Amino acid sequence: MSAITAETRAQKNYSDWYASTKAKSLRPPLTPEEEARPFSKYYYEEIPEPDPKHLKKMDKPCDPSLAIEPHQINDLLDPGELDVEIGWCNLENGAGFIANRIVYPEITADMIDWWFAWHALEDLRYRIWYPPQHGGIMVSPEARKRLLDPAVPFAEKNWGQIHHVTEDCNCGMENIDINFLSPKDIGFDMSRWKKPFVSAFAGGQGWAVTVDKTDMSITAPAVMCHIFRQHPDGLEHRTRFWMGYRLSNGMPELSLPPGISVPVEAIQGLARHNVKEFTRFKYFLPRIYAEFGGRMEA
Amino acid sequence: MPIKLMAASRRRPGLTRSEYQRYLEFYHGTIARQERLKISTYVQNHVIDGAFGTLADETHQQVANRDAVVELVFDSFRDMIETLEPAVPSAASQDGKFFADECNNIIVMAEEEEVPVPNPIPAFNPGLGIVQGVGGLKVLQYIMRDDSVFREDYLIHWRKAHQHAMENAPYAREQLRRCVMNKRSRINDNDGAARAHFKMVDPPVYDLVVSHWFDTIEQAGAFRQYLEAMQSYPAPFANWSKSFYLYTRQVVIIRDTPQDV
Repeated sequence: MSAITAETRAQKNYSDWYASTKAKSLRPPLTPEEEARPFSKYYYEEIPEPDPKHLKKMDKPCDPSLAIEPHQINDLLDPGELDVEIGWCNLENGAGFIANRIVYPEITADMIDWWFAWHALEDLRYRIWYPPQHGGIMVSPEARKRLLDPAVPFAEKNWGQIHHVTEDCNCGMENIDINFLSPKDIGFDMSRWKKPFVSAFAGGQGWAVTVDKTDMSITAPAVMCHIFRQHPDGLEHRTRFWMGYRLSNGMPELSLPPGISVPVEAIQGLARHNVKEFTRFKYFLPRIYAEFGGRMEA
Repeated sequence: MPIKLMAASRRRPGLTRSEYQRYLEFYHGTIARQERLKISTYVQNHVIDGAFGTLADETHQQVANRDAVVELVFDSFRDMIETLEPAVPSAASQDGKFFADECNNIIVMAEEEEVPVPNPIPAFNPGLGIVQGVGGLKVLQYIMRDDSVFREDYLIHWRKAHQHAMENAPYAREQLRRCVMNKRSRINDNDGAARAHFKMVDPPVYDLVVSHWFDTIEQAGAFRQYLEAMQSYPAPFANWSKSFYLYTRQVVIIRDTPQDV
């Protein structure tokens, strides 16, 4: 029988978790139990503002002819830069495209692998990442078993697992189910999957719907890719989102009705959110990794 | 990747099951052939018999009557929408009211996953033995997820329960010729407008429909044995009171010869 720990106590069943998400979306004060967690101090930190020049690049859409589509994901393994590394737009087919790039002088690939697994175990772990817009997180009991299994490497813990996050990407609080995948399952050519082209990866397919879901609410799909590689100034993080696409047996498929485009507000909102949450990440991950890194329990 | 729309319907008031199935096959099916649009495959499953809920239930917990399940397969989501919601309403979209009790339809948009079976060819009279995975009895099993179980865990548990059932139901293990999981796609969450159009109020949501093929109706008992073994799987993952299965006869309306054969 496994010991009951904070990491296992956080588990809710599906209906109880779903019922709790509206309350989570209001970002309530920390509970006494959360206050007692050794990483709660991060919740109260001042959140660094992004570089204004960086954020300004998200003010207007980029040229869609320069963007890549999800079936071109392997272009991210090419040396050098793509035409759009920071920007967003509607593609010709109505899908939403986002690119973002940020270099982390003090972050390593090991930190990335650890963080993307570690933060899924408790609401507070997710909330401290970006307190202004992160409401909470849940995984299923089977996913939790895998995350806590010491035999599974950090880089692989999320493969095939779903993070159920409650988050505001500037269009109101949503419940987003992010199905993390292995690089192979998202479509990367594994014969090219090596340094210096790639050092770490986190990505998959998401479904987002407002926490105030009604019968007519739209549950919106998106493909998400965070890929990391070494850079002279540290670790380079390149993000891509393709909103309106879902993965169907590993193949990206546009899933918008004819004539429908992903709303501009949703694309720009996610783009700006991405810049802000990963600016916070840049300064916060090295410190929290120094305290808790290399293990799942805290 | 193809996407499939499965609609389980019951007959409109005043029709016998035979009248309903005649209309479905010869009128509605013909209209679909005449106005195919982007349908890749269209199969009707005419219900012979079935059971809803469990023997432990005092009464039915939902509508306990289905007369057919139609399966429409499309090459893509966009093809499906262009066919089901054409700019000019199609005859097929207006024909349903003449035979179906539309407000009680159960709609599942699903993606298929083939589940290997140990004996895809019968030992009895297999002919040349080059045709696998066919059968005259198709059982459609609608399994309601237990509300407390995450969707992703539900599928994990179904796989384990299926394995458990196959190990503990020797007759089913011998007789099951083909098994396909029809996994509900989240794209199905966005069918609010269709539900409103058909005045469907809070229809039941099924995350999984499993198709099982057996040689003939004589093997229906193999499915019963399988079901009882599945229900004995120890981890709760399904609401069996809101689950049901249908013994059906498959009627192919549209299916082209595969291009790669």
